[in-house]
Amino acid sequence: MLAASPPSPVWNRRRNEKRRRIELASHLASGRILPTDQLTAALEILIAPGDRVVLEGNNQKQADFLSRSLARTNPARLHDLHMIIPSVGRPEHLDIFESGIARKLDFSFSGPQSLRIGQLLQDGCLEIGAIHTYVELYARLFVDLTPNVALVAAYQADRHGNLYTGPSTEDTPALVEATAFRDGIVIAQVNEIVDDPSELTRVDIPADWVDFVVLADRPFFIEPLFTRDPRLIKPVHVLMAMMAIRGIYERHQVQSLNHGLGFNTAAIELLLPTYGEQLGLKGKICRHWTLNPHPTLIPAIESGWVDSVHCFGGELGMEAYVAARSDVFFTGRDGSLRSNRAFCQMAGQYAVDMFIGSTLQMDGDGHSSTVTHGRLSGFGGAPNMGHDPHGRRHASPAWLDLIQTDSLLARGRKLVVQMVETFQGNGQPTIVESLDAVEVARNSGMPLAPVMIYGDDVSHVLTEEGIAYLYKAESLEQRRQMIAAVAGITPIGLRHDPASTAALRQAGLVALPEDLGIRRSEASRSLLAAKSMAELVSWSDGLYQPPARFRSW
Amino acid sequence: MSHQQDIARLLQGHSFIELSARERAHSLLDAGSSRELAGPFDRQYSPWLGAQGIVAQADDGVVICKGLLDGQPAVIAAIEGGFQGGSLGEVGGAKLVSALELAATDNRQGIPTRAVILFETGGVRLQEANLGLAAIAEIHAAIVDLARYQPVIGIIAGTVGCFGGMSIAAGLCSYLIVTREARLGLNGPQVIEQEAGVAEYDSRNRPFIWSLTGGEQRRVCGLADALLDDDSVLIRQQLLDFIARGLPEQPRHRRSQHMLQRLLAMDSTSQADAASARQFFQSGAKP
Repeated sequence: MLAASPPSPVWNRRRNEKRRRIELASHLASGRILPTDQLTAALEILIAPGDRVVLEGNNQKQADFLSRSLARTNPARLHDLHMIIPSVGRPEHLDIFESGIARKLDFSFSGPQSLRIGQLLQDGCLEIGAIHTYVELYARLFVDLTPNVALVAAYQADRHGNLYTGPSTEDTPALVEATAFRDGIVIAQVNEIVDDPSELTRVDIPADWVDFVVLADRPFFIEPLFTRDPRLIKPVHVLMAMMAIRGIYERHQVQSLNHGLGFNTAAIELLLPTYGEQLGLKGKICRHWTLNPHPTLIPAIESGWVDSVHCFGGELGMEAYVAARSDVFFTGRDGSLRSNRAFCQMAGQYAVDMFIGSTLQMDGDGHSSTVTHGRLSGFGGAPNMGHDPHGRRHASPAWLDLIQTDSLLARGRKLVVQMVETFQGNGQPTIVESLDAVEVARNSGMPLAPVMIYGDDVSHVLTEEGIAYLYKAESLEQRRQMIAAVAGITPIGLRHDPASTAALRQAGLVALPEDLGIRRSEASRSLLAAKSMAELVSWSDGLYQPPARFRSW
Repeated sequence: MSHQQDIARLLQGHSFIELSARERAHSLLDAGSSRELAGPFDRQYSPWLGAQGIVAQADDGVVICKGLLDGQPAVIAAIEGGFQGGSLGEVGGAKLVSALELAATDNRQGIPTRAVILFETGGVRLQEANLGLAAIAEIHAAIVDLARYQPVIGIIAGTVGCFGGMSIAAGLCSYLIVTREARLGLNGPQVIEQEAGVAEYDSRNRPFIWSLTGGEQRRVCGLADALLDDDSVLIRQQLLDFIARGLPEQPRHRRSQHMLQRLLAMDSTSQADAASARQFFQSGAKP
């Protein structure tokens, strides 16, 4: 008797499944175009219970027609989805967990929804896979979190499915690539559909990677997150910016860098054409940038400080300005900005001399976190850029300057600067005995505390009191003394010993403004190259068009 | 102006809006002539704020400086928008009234003291209620009195603007200077939104608010006499020009008949917008 032959192995289950679903949905579509009013029905066919679905919740651009439609599907048909959302920013991103459509969440950042994630987690409505950094989350899409379906947003599509994602390309290429090349289904919402590829502004995502396109009920939601009104920059920000320029940028000859969205770094950008110019630093520092097109960078660009800027995403109102400064920004052949968060994060990780950022809490060892009680705000990209990447091999003056030995086997070091006021606006100390994140981890059963930037990665701490050059510390105890020396009257600062602080200053491990040749009384807003939104518009030669909420005219 | 000239101007930075009330007053008076009266070292605090849990200020948010304008005696009353929204209470109000009344007394004694009021105010200080209202009424009377002898010049630069009873004071001035960032209105945007509803008047729609109450609109509508860039030098020059021009032939508050006629003719069934408001103010027989 012959033994039953083993079933022949099947190696294309994913492809067959994709084909099956697309055929099931084909009666709803005309070619690759899904009618706007059929989207919810199509999602119920194209997505299956338990699927991994990556949803384009970006830092700025949101695939909100797709997320709102997903929230309208029938939980009896569509349930227990495993959602991957880089930035959880919309209420409906979490509504689907309340209704049972989704069950598990892997994400990176959750600014406005951080409180609700904490609540849903406590109520048992939501299971968290992990909280990632951006690059880490994109990386996992190619390893163990490959999506079955990607829901993304673009400005324009043609009838074949070519997409124009334009200035706000952001995460789209990374999400689509991971899905399209492992037989997942890619659905894009667009603001406009044109007939022919030649009518597209340009092609950012080729039609080959896209299965369906749907015209959104309204243009995708996008937020001007990186616009800082110069009016709100305070003299203390100017003081800290002066200290940063003198005590860090100039001292280490920082050529390439990332800036976040704080008022402190906005002040630095606005001091380059004035204070930086007085110090004769043009061409010596701040030439290459990885950051969004910050409106507050306009004066530095116009004064010839900036060689290049690569962007994570776009910024509302900056489109025409960027297009007119294509020597500086990365633009397509149509002239408009091309951003790409994955590449820009990678650039910020490996190719810049310095990351400078801020945080809500830092402890006496220099560990920092933005997770506070009840808020699971996630990490975003700060940890990608805010660490010393041991895979770096190319040298630059700043990278070499942090080496503390003469050995040829030493490695250079990225500058990771924490720039914080010792107290937050609400009167809470920034520099604390113990991070809330530790207790949050203990209470919610996380294996580790959600730390944004680990103390051993931090090379400098800059407060309104002074700069601690932590990379020079010879012991953990000395690091602690250095942080305490610039921690003002926070619980950590009150521990400092005036005698040891004087010795640290003497040894050049800590610098106060006067040690850097800065008079506190000179730190006035009059040093800002632009003091209002209207002046930024003038600096841009009228090209920058601020969103309505920033106008005072 | 070319873009390069524009940049040079921006880098020179003579912003008037940036200045505090005290710095504004000093910047307008002839160099070295400014002397503060009833200043912070006289410690005239509001007696009402402390009890309501608000830290009072030693000048109560009003700065009075005596000095010279183009060599002639002048007094400048500057309201500090950064303290309690530039609201007028008992002490600050009394300082402003006294300054104007003393200037009028000077003029009756043959000293040609001019007055300049720098408005940056939401109007009456609610915490001081009737005392603030009384002070504002006295300010109105004092402006009308002084404006018989010398021009009283108002400046609204921003960012607070000029609202409430103090908008009437601005209307009583012989000449009013505004910037594009200034706003002038009887009620503030949030008050109107509360009364009229957000559908009719969305206080967060900034371009809409400025299109109706902003400096540019007020100048076109004839409620202000000069619209200037935010530049201390330009503002001072315009101030000196108005002083040199002397009293206006017919002050704005004597043109009330014209305004009343316009109001009677207004069609309130359709919602006013910036264009229709301009047309409304510009039409009709000139006063």
